[in-house]
Amino acid sequence: MSKTTQAPKALRGVGNFIDDRFHAAKMGEKNLRKVFPNHWSFMLGEIALYSFIILLLTGVFLTLWFKPSMIEVVYDGPYERLNGVVMSEAYASTLHIDFAVRGGFLVRQIHHWAALIFVASLVVHMLRVFFTGAFRKPREINWLIGVAIFTLAMLEGLFGYSLPDDLPSGMGVRILQGVMLALPLVGTYISMFLFGGEFPGEDIITRLYMLHVLAIPALLLGLIVAHFMILWHQKHTQYPGPGKTDKTVVGTPMFPGFAVKAGGFFFFTFAVIAGLSAFVQINPIHLFGPFTPTSITSGLQPDWYMGFMEGSLRIFPNWFDFQIFGYAVPIGVLVPGLVIPGIVFGGLGAWPFLEQWITGDKRAHNVADRPRNAPVRTGVGAAGITFYGLLWLAGSNDILSETFSISLYVTTYIFRVLVIVGPFVAYFVAKRICLGLQRRDRESLEHGYESGIIQQLPSGEFIEVHKRNSEETTEVLASKPEITSTALTEPAADDKGVRNPESRKAKGRIRRALAEWYTKDNVSFEGVEPHTGHHLHHSEEAVKEHASH
Amino acid sequence: MKWITARRRHPLAGYVVVILALALFGVGYAAVAPTSDQAQAQTLAADAPSPEDVDVAEGKTIFDQTCASCHGLDGSGGEFGPDLRDVGPAAIDFQVSTGRMPSMNPDAQMPRKPMVMTEQELADLIAYYNESIRNDGSGADVPYDVPDIEPHPDDFAPLRSDFDSEEAYEEAVEEAEAEYQAALEDYQAEYDAYISGADDTEMGMRLYLTNCAHCHGWSGGGGALTDGRWAPEIHESTPREIYEAMVSGPGAMPMFSDGVIAPEEKQELISYVKTLQAEPDAGGIFNLQRVGQVAEGLIGWVVGLALIVACAIWITAKQRAHD
Repeated sequence: MSKTTQAPKALRGVGNFIDDRFHAAKMGEKNLRKVFPNHWSFMLGEIALYSFIILLLTGVFLTLWFKPSMIEVVYDGPYERLNGVVMSEAYASTLHIDFAVRGGFLVRQIHHWAALIFVASLVVHMLRVFFTGAFRKPREINWLIGVAIFTLAMLEGLFGYSLPDDLPSGMGVRILQGVMLALPLVGTYISMFLFGGEFPGEDIITRLYMLHVLAIPALLLGLIVAHFMILWHQKHTQYPGPGKTDKTVVGTPMFPGFAVKAGGFFFFTFAVIAGLSAFVQINPIHLFGPFTPTSITSGLQPDWYMGFMEGSLRIFPNWFDFQIFGYAVPIGVLVPGLVIPGIVFGGLGAWPFLEQWITGDKRAHNVADRPRNAPVRTGVGAAGITFYGLLWLAGSNDILSETFSISLYVTTYIFRVLVIVGPFVAYFVAKRICLGLQRRDRESLEHGYESGIIQQLPSGEFIEVHKRNSEETTEVLASKPEITSTALTEPAADDKGVRNPESRKAKGRIRRALAEWYTKDNVSFEGVEPHTGHHLHHSEEAVKEHASH
Repeated sequence: MKWITARRRHPLAGYVVVILALALFGVGYAAVAPTSDQAQAQTLAADAPSPEDVDVAEGKTIFDQTCASCHGLDGSGGEFGPDLRDVGPAAIDFQVSTGRMPSMNPDAQMPRKPMVMTEQELADLIAYYNESIRNDGSGADVPYDVPDIEPHPDDFAPLRSDFDSEEAYEEAVEEAEAEYQAALEDYQAEYDAYISGADDTEMGMRLYLTNCAHCHGWSGGGGALTDGRWAPEIHESTPREIYEAMVSGPGAMPMFSDGVIAPEEKQELISYVKTLQAEPDAGGIFNLQRVGQVAEGLIGWVVGLALIVACAIWITAKQRAHD
C-alpha cells in the first residue's frame, strides 16, 4: 500500500475528468504553491480589491431600485418631512432606497464608505509602490495601469456622488460643467453635448448613470484583471533579506497560508466598512434636500479624492485671465481644473520612465528599494504628497477657517505660499532624513547595535556595549545598492578640456545634470564589512578583558 | 507595580505613556474649565415680562450705563458704535438677547453669548429706546407673536433668604417647579403651534436654500465669510431671534424685511430650518456634526483605512529577530 491517502472515488472521477481536459492539476499545483512575500505593505492593494468587490455587490443592490430619471415628481412617501416637495425621480428613488427598502439605507452607506476607502487604499498602495521603487522594470506597465485605475476611480466616484440629485450632487456637477466651459473653443460644445442642452437639463443623471454603472466599472474591472494577471505573472516584489534576490521569492505559499490570510482580510475589510456604515452617517441626502439650480449652500465639499482639485480651483488666482476677440479665456479655471490634475497624473505616469532615463538602469528589479536608499526618489515622493496634501487641505479652507477662526482670505494666501514652498521643504527634509538613516545603517552595519548596557572598565572609562545584529538585519543593511547613472560613466570633458559628444547636446546636458542630482549625496557603504567597527571590537575586547580579571 | 515594571521596555510603552498623559490633561482640563452652560444658568433670570409691565426710567439707567459709551447718550452713534435711532427695537432685542451687545471689542464680530441682563431689564431698555431714541416708527418692531427662548427652571427658583422657615421655602420650591412646568408646557404649545403651523416644506426649503444657506449652511451650521467674518450657526437661535435677524440685518447679513419675505413665508422658512435641525440622524449615531464631506474623508482615512491597515500589519506580523 502506498503511503499517500487516496481521494474518494467520486472526487477522483470528477478530478480526472477536468484534469484530462484542462490540465487542471498541473496549473492548480503551480498556482496554489505560488509564493507571496509576507509584509503588511503588500496587502494594501488587496484593500482596494476587496472594497471594489464590496462596491460591485452593493452597487448591484442599489440599481434594483434607483431610477436614473430627472422627471419631476411630487414626493409622497415614508419620509414625511419632504412630503409635498417637488423633486426628480432620481432623488425620490434614493429616498425610497433609504426609507422604504429593507436594509437600503445601510447598503447605500456601505457603498459610499467603501468608495471612500477604495480610493484611499489605491493611494496608499500606490505610495508603497512608488517609495519602494516597485514600479521599476519589469513593472512599468502595471504602474501605468494603476495610474489609470486611480484616475478612473476618481471619475467613477464623482459620477456616483452626482447620481442621487441631492443638493451637493448638483453643486458637484455644476463645478464639473464650469471646468468644461473653461476649455477654449470646444468648452461650450462639450458642455451642451454632455448635458443635452443648458445646465442642468434633463439628461445628465441618465448619462452619468450609464457611465457610473456600466462604462467605467467595465473599464475598471478590465484594468484590475489585467493588473492582477500581470502581477501573477511577474510576482510581487520583496524587501531585501536572507535568500531574497531578484531571482528567488521568499514567502508564504498561496495555499493554505496566504489564502487563509487573504480571505480573513477580506472579512476584516468588510467588517470595518460595514461598521462605519452602521454607526457613522455619511452623505445624508434626506437631510440635504433635492437640488434645484437656485439652491446653494456653504460648507459643502466633494468627497475627499476630489478635494485636491477643489483646492486648486479655490486658491488659484484670477490674475492671468484674459479676453481675446471678445472671448474670455479663464486661466483661473483652466489651470487648476485641468493642468494641475494633468501634472499630478501625468507626473505619476511619467516617473518610471523619467527615472530610467536618468539612471540608464535597464535591469529587472524584483527586490524593492528601502525608501532611504533612494533618497532623491523619496524626496520627490514627499514633495508630491505635500503638494497634493496642501491642495487637498485648501479644498476645505472654509471649514478650516470656520473651525479654527482663521480669516478665509488669510487661509487662501497661506495656501498659495505653502503650495509652492511646501514641496521644496518636504523634498529637502525627506532627503536629509534618508541620508541620516543611511548613516545610521552604516554605523549599525559596522558596529552592531547599541545594547543599552553601560559598563565601567577598570580604567574608569564608561562604554556602551554594542552587540552583533542578527543575520537578517545584517543582510538587510548590507543590501543597499549603489545609485549610479550611465550618464556619468564618462566625464563631461577629457583632460584636454574637450567636452564629450553626449554632453554637448542639450538633451545630454539635461540628462547629465539630472543624473548628477539623482546620484549625489549618498552615503557610501563601499568597503564596509559587517561588525568590523572599532567600537564593537573595542567593547567586546574590553568586556572580555574585564571578565578575565 | 511588577506589572508595569515588566512592560516598561515594551516598544509601545512610550506611546502608551503619551496617550495616557494627553488623556489625563484633556479630561482634567474639561473637568475644571468653566462651561458656558453653567455661566448661562447664572445670568438667565426672571420670567419673560409683559411689554406693559416696564420701567422706562430703569431702561434709561441701563442705556446710559451699558450702551451710551459707544452709541452716545441720545443713541446717535459715535466713533465706536453706529447710530441707533433708525434700527428699530427688533435689532435691539436681537443684539442684546443673543449676548452680542454690549460688545467687548467694537472692531470684532461678536459671537453668540449668554445675555448680560435679565429679561426685565431688556424690556425696560426697549421701552426707553422706543420712547426716547427711536425716530418715530422707523425700523422693525419686536415680533412678540414669534416664540422666544424656552423657560429655564432657574427663572422660577425662589431664594432661600426670602423665607423664614424651611417648610415655607420647600413649599415655594414645589410651587416654583409647578410654575416652571406650566410655563414650559405653554412655551412648547406656542413653539409647536408656530413651527407646525407652517406645512409648506417646499416653500420653506426654497426660501432657506435660496436666501440663507449660502452663508449659514444647509443645516444652519454656519460658515466662513469674506474679510475674516463668519456666518454664525443658528442651532441655538430661537424662532424670534431668527425673525429679528431677518428684519434687522445684523452685521454682514442683508435685511429681509416683511415686504421682501412676508411673515407667513418667514414662518415657513423658520419652521423648515428648525424642523431640519430637530431631525434625528437616520444614518447612524455619529452624525459628524453634520459637517459633511470633510469630516467623512477624515474618518474614512483615520478610522476606516487605519483600522484595515492595522489588521494587515497584524496578520502579517511575525516574530521579530531579536537584535
